Amino acid sequence: MKSLLVAVVIIGCLPAATAAADLDAVLSRGELIWAADQEGGGPHVFPDPADPRRLTGFEVELAALLAEELGVKPRFQQGQWDRLPLLLGRTADCVINGIELTPERRRDYHCSRPYFAYSLQVLARRDGPLDALEKLGVPGPKGRWRVGVLTGSAAESVMRSRSDLEADVIGYDGTIDSLEQVSTGVLDAAVMDDCIFNFYADRFNRVRAVDRPFAGGFYTILTADDTPRLSAAIDAALGRLIADGRLKALYDRWDLAGRQQMLLVRDAAEIPAASRKSLGELCRDTLPLLITSAGMTVLLSCLSFPLAVGIGLAVAVGRMYGPAWLRPLLTGYVEVLRGTPLMLQLYAIFFLLPKIGLTLPALVAAVIGLALNYSAYESEIYRAGLKAVPLGQFEASLSLGLTKWQALRHVLVPQAVRIVMPPVTSDFIALFKDTSVCSAITVVELTKRYSVLALSSGRIVELAVVTALLYLLMSWPLALLSRWFERRLERPAAGSGGSEG
Amino acid sequence: MITVTSLTKSRAQGRVLDDVSLTGAEGTVTALVGPSGSGKSTLLRCLNGLETFDSGLITIAGHRLGAGRHAAAGLERLRRDVGMVFQQFNLFPHVSTVDNVALAPRVVLGMSAADARARGLELLGRVGLRSFADARPSTLSGGQQQRVAIARALAMRPRVLLFDEPTSALDPAMAAEVMEVIVELARAGQTMVVVTHDHGFAKRAASQVVELAAGRVAKQGPAAAVL
Repeated sequence: MKSLLVAVVIIGCLPAATAAADLDAVLSRGELIWAADQEGGGPHVFPDPADPRRLTGFEVELAALLAEELGVKPRFQQGQWDRLPLLLGRTADCVINGIELTPERRRDYHCSRPYFAYSLQVLARRDGPLDALEKLGVPGPKGRWRVGVLTGSAAESVMRSRSDLEADVIGYDGTIDSLEQVSTGVLDAAVMDDCIFNFYADRFNRVRAVDRPFAGGFYTILTADDTPRLSAAIDAALGRLIADGRLKALYDRWDLAGRQQMLLVRDAAEIPAASRKSLGELCRDTLPLLITSAGMTVLLSCLSFPLAVGIGLAVAVGRMYGPAWLRPLLTGYVEVLRGTPLMLQLYAIFFLLPKIGLTLPALVAAVIGLALNYSAYESEIYRAGLKAVPLGQFEASLSLGLTKWQALRHVLVPQAVRIVMPPVTSDFIALFKDTSVCSAITVVELTKRYSVLALSSGRIVELAVVTALLYLLMSWPLALLSRWFERRLERPAAGSGGSEG
Repeated sequence: MITVTSLTKSRAQGRVLDDVSLTGAEGTVTALVGPSGSGKSTLLRCLNGLETFDSGLITIAGHRLGAGRHAAAGLERLRRDVGMVFQQFNLFPHVSTVDNVALAPRVVLGMSAADARARGLELLGRVGLRSFADARPSTLSGGQQQRVAIARALAMRPRVLLFDEPTSALDPAMAAEVMEVIVELARAGQTMVVVTHDHGFAKRAASQVVELAAGRVAKQGPAAAVL
């Protein structure tokens, strides 16, 4: 959701700084601004291990060569990989970052001639049951194979289109997250560009390539549709780099089989552009998927929030009325969970626990992560609520012979619950939207589904509006429901039993 | 029924109670009077363990309270036998009037909900508020609230009932209706200790008056003699 908002804000507010000026802007600036995601890693673009302030990678060198050909200096622009095209015409002149040439991209941007041919490789544990590609066509020993891919990559779309495979495809945000999970045994296999696996192979010695690469395609340089002269200049420069062997030499330096690459890269015009859907068709094709994923959002919220409230209330009571040794522990619990990002907590539960032998399904990990994180906030709310109940209530309860816990149960907590109803409601709505973070641990909820669909269809803004409306449609009734609940609690409780009198 | 022996309590600002001793026989009403800050409310709150004291001894309704911190279990037993009514009523705002009265019998004595409600209705009748059984406390006048608070304290059938300035927060008409209830209890033989500023009330209801000044017992005796 956050990145979606950022995208909308960028589109709405920033003037098209470089778009209109085309090649002249690049030349007068003296810089070719190229966008990539250094988190994407090797061998494309990554921080130099020897000097992390410096970027290295074969695309860093390619950008330098291209800039040199244009007579300017290269300047790197960081962006999130699956959002890089959004930077075009705003903060970047071109995108050079393993962008696969697809019909959709041909439709929405200008794609340069290919500069690199990638192959898709299936990877599995050396000691695992998956030792041949055709085994993916029949269920494995534990049922359907679990296969990880990089979200938004060609590997993902190829694997998702293969209905003939007995495989569940799981999207990851980091390039080598899926390798990590194959290594720990959470996944049966990963699919990625072979050059990435070759680059990181030493780090994952339990993982091996299964058969030969089974599919492939080309990397292209993206430029905005309205900078034709810049696009032409980049194409021409690439042509010269290919013709005079500088590109081949570059690939050889990076162990990327320069000669084979040169035989494979060919003209982008051979790939046809896809046709553009009408808004009606777009909604018809995407709404069912979006609504299904909205169900996951509701499920995550409704499972995790009651847990968060329960834990939070217990922690608040423990901190205020519990034994002295318990109080600093609970304070630490609250401060740690409140002071660290939800994303990291989810990562720890999902990626680190398997390392000590505790593997949780993604949905369970997500619910636990959300519940723990929000319990810290709920406990602070309930602490404030309990403090707001006058001391006289406690004294009156004790004077009647109630124990401390009976006073809490029957007098203090019921009043605190009423006091904190409004902030708890607003926290529920906040959690409801925070469920989008769970996509980081492979749970496909509404925001994730939006990202995937926006990426594959290229209809970023239209789908953002539809998705935002879906969120609103869901959170509005939640707000009404809790207001009703609030009113109900304000009425006198019904007589606690007998009907006489 | 009540024996206080050499009670002493100090706070940062000085002595609050200084060698206070008194006795209250079963069925008697003891009025604690004296200027503000003389220690009479603190003394009352020591009697059911809401406050601790530094030295001395209290025996009340067969329970003993020594100096320093009290054990929770002993306090809970004591408080079943020693009820308290507060200046600010302290009714439970989230439940109905009858549930205010029925809560302790149900929770502490384990009475069934129906029996507890029946006891609640009976006691509300005794303070003239049976028709308000299902109202919220906040919809009642101050005098009515204090009468509910008395019914609530009576619900545990306490052997001793403590009142902490029960009429100070009320206007004269409401104060009068609350006093009527207390005088009625006195006639019925309820042992009570009442902190009050109202000498007229003390003369009318109290078997003995204890006047405190600066934490010490200044005078002690029959109302007519002390006031």
